[in-house]
Amino acid sequence: MSELIQLPSYKEQSPEVSARFEALHKRPVKLKVEGLSKTFHTSKGSVNVLKSIDLNVYRREFVSVIGPSGCGKSTLIRMLAGLETLSGGRFLLNDKEVSGPSADRGMVFQGYTLFPWLSVKKNVMFGLEVNGRSGTAVEQEALQWIELVGLARFADAYPSQLSGGMKQRVAIARALATQPEVLFMDEPFGALDPHTRSQMQAYLLQIWKNVDVTIMFVTHDLDEAIYLSDRILVLKANPGEIHEFIEVPVPRPRTPEQFLSPEFLSVKQHLEELIHPVSSNDDEPTDLPIVRMTSASDNVE
Amino acid sequence: MKSEEIAAKTSSPWFAIRKDLDSKQRLILSCFSFLLPILIWVIVSYTPFIWHPDVKLQLSADRTDVTTIYSAGDRLSKEFYPSFVEAIQSDNAEILAAREQGEVDGSASRIRRANLKVMRHITPVVTANGWLTRDEVKDESLYGVWQKLAEGSLEQKRVQLSAENMEIIKRNWALMSERSEVFDSKLLPETPLEKLVPQGKPSNPSYLPSPHEVVVKGIQDFTAEADGNNPSLFQRYRHSLRIVFLGFLFAALVGVPLGVICGTFDFFSKLFEPFIDFFRYMPAPAFSTLLVAVFLANDAPKIALVFVGTFFQLVLVVANTTRQLDASLLEAAQTLGANKSTQIRRVILPGILPDLFNDLRILLGWAWTWLVIAELIGVKSGLTEFMDTQGRFRNFDSVFPVIILIGVSGFVTDQILSSLRKYLFPWTPESSSKKHGFIGRFIYWLLDRKVYDSPLNGKV
Ligand SMILES: Nc1ncnc2c1ncn2[C@@H]1O[C@H](COP(=O)(O)OP(=O)(O)O)[C@@H](O)[C@H]1O
Ligand SMILES: [Mg+2]
Repeated sequence: MSELIQLPSYKEQSPEVSARFEALHKRPVKLKVEGLSKTFHTSKGSVNVLKSIDLNVYRREFVSVIGPSGCGKSTLIRMLAGLETLSGGRFLLNDKEVSGPSADRGMVFQGYTLFPWLSVKKNVMFGLEVNGRSGTAVEQEALQWIELVGLARFADAYPSQLSGGMKQRVAIARALATQPEVLFMDEPFGALDPHTRSQMQAYLLQIWKNVDVTIMFVTHDLDEAIYLSDRILVLKANPGEIHEFIEVPVPRPRTPEQFLSPEFLSVKQHLEELIHPVSSNDDEPTDLPIVRMTSASDNVE
Repeated sequence: MKSEEIAAKTSSPWFAIRKDLDSKQRLILSCFSFLLPILIWVIVSYTPFIWHPDVKLQLSADRTDVTTIYSAGDRLSKEFYPSFVEAIQSDNAEILAAREQGEVDGSASRIRRANLKVMRHITPVVTANGWLTRDEVKDESLYGVWQKLAEGSLEQKRVQLSAENMEIIKRNWALMSERSEVFDSKLLPETPLEKLVPQGKPSNPSYLPSPHEVVVKGIQDFTAEADGNNPSLFQRYRHSLRIVFLGFLFAALVGVPLGVICGTFDFFSKLFEPFIDFFRYMPAPAFSTLLVAVFLANDAPKIALVFVGTFFQLVLVVANTTRQLDASLLEAAQTLGANKSTQIRRVILPGILPDLFNDLRILLGWAWTWLVIAELIGVKSGLTEFMDTQGRFRNFDSVFPVIILIGVSGFVTDQILSSLRKYLFPWTPESSSKKHGFIGRFIYWLLDRKVYDSPLNGKV
């Protein structure tokens, strides 16, 4: 298909888009990562998972992280969230070095991780109460966040009574309630069906618009990454290094119709090339050596 | 009509590989799982040609040449019983032969005494048939029974005297009435009377009493009042319950915090668990003498034995349950700002609670199994002492009700706790999906009598 239509380069930006990136780069740096590396020591020896990662994320930016599976995407954001120790390098939040997990860096996991014994409202209140607040104000605030993700009707339900998409919205509300500087999301929609997934993407863009939060979003879905992000961090595997940090030329506000716009397709094509290089296809044959097993005489194709 | 047909079609097949049956089928099968063993017991007990290796005597007699004495209620093996009967019959033949030849052996008073014994031997049949109560049995009244039997004016309901015995009774009564119509120890016949021939019916060994014997004896035992230093069965039961529950309570009070700590911090896990793991392989009863030496008399060593038998298992199980908690919940809590103590209080504890409850329920069952051994150590006590005494006398019809009581207590406690789970932990998936069981409906009904009046079945 790409041969038939002449796509623009993914680096070409419309004047509005480049103006937007210019403004973005003038914003304060929220997250500064310097020479970050990670080595896991296991009984089978040590694995160098991430090597010298340097990057800046600006305030209220939406950054996606993609890369082949096992390249260290989860490890990277888990380190930034304080859930994994650093083997080397450091990172600064608002120019201050931080360590260990804390409420200023929220996290949304693929597996929802809602507290099953708490109702939706209590789940959202958890972070607020843990940080020493109590009283009716906390409850009011929690209800506002629940309303923001559109689940006011389910405030008193238990997580087990919700669908996957609803659970993930509660998890987002819970993470946002403590008003983190950065919100890390590790394939949050990976377990959802395609329809719910695209719904959730729209919700997330809406929420991000209304809340002062910087988002770092891990995904393996290229469309999702392009649709949501300002910039896309592409990692390569063994050892995990930055392949490229791409500025997405698709203008905002984003709509699902843009999935077929030339800018969108050009970024997607480039990402495909980065993640699935042609050379790596050599050792994996695309045609399976299939022997006809059935005696059917009519051909299905 | 239509809907009934559909309902009939939707009931699941009885034999499907790895498919659940519907609730009605499950209920039926659960009932059968209890009915089947009872049915087998009933069949074995009440079908005379199945097994029944013994003969239970309804009427016994003394042999002249042998000192072993059997009385009514004793069991003889089927092989031995005929020779016992023959021996009495040959005794009788000798008596008759001697009487014919006019030979009388021994003094008149000795013969009278032997005849008195013969007369008294009918007693078990008299009481079994209800002709006299146990208190009414006197020589005078027995004499009257002989008379009535000879005249044929007594109805033989429970124990039928054999024709042979009826002949003997008539012949004996002829001799007796010749001397006197009423009892007088001086006026008993001075010729030897024929002995009643032993009678019995097929029976199982004493260790397998039949169901009705167990039920009757159970009711008797449980309604018996306490006397002196012999507590009633209910007092014994309470005593046994106390030992089980206190032993378990102490084990849980110490074991749960320890288990949670071990499951939370690898430090404590590696510090405590290896030894506990080793210790639990030493059987608790091995410590019984030690426990008695340490805790002295009374209940303390018994409670300690239940503790020892439960505690080590409990710590390991609780530690494991704690480790099973999804670690990502803790990570989520950390990214929300929870520190260590908050993580334990607000994530680990509530998170493991449903499983912890389940563990404790299973371990309570474990504690029950130590009861009997615990009550045997030191001074025997409670239900076990009763079983031990009765068992020694081979009164297994008294032992069975107690065994069943212990089983039922454990089972019922377990069922109650297990159905409480979904009310205590409404967030667990099982509580929202499963229908309320019998006990659950009962609890709801206790909380709100009107629940089942509404057409919504309590759901608003
Ligand atoms: N705790 C760990 N111990 C050892 N190896 C790990 C650990 N966590 C991740 N890894 C390894 O690090 C690599 C990157 O993992 P991950 O960050 O989960 O990849 P991704 O999220 O990009 O799929 C994988 O090869 C994985 O096996
Ligand atoms: Mg991952």
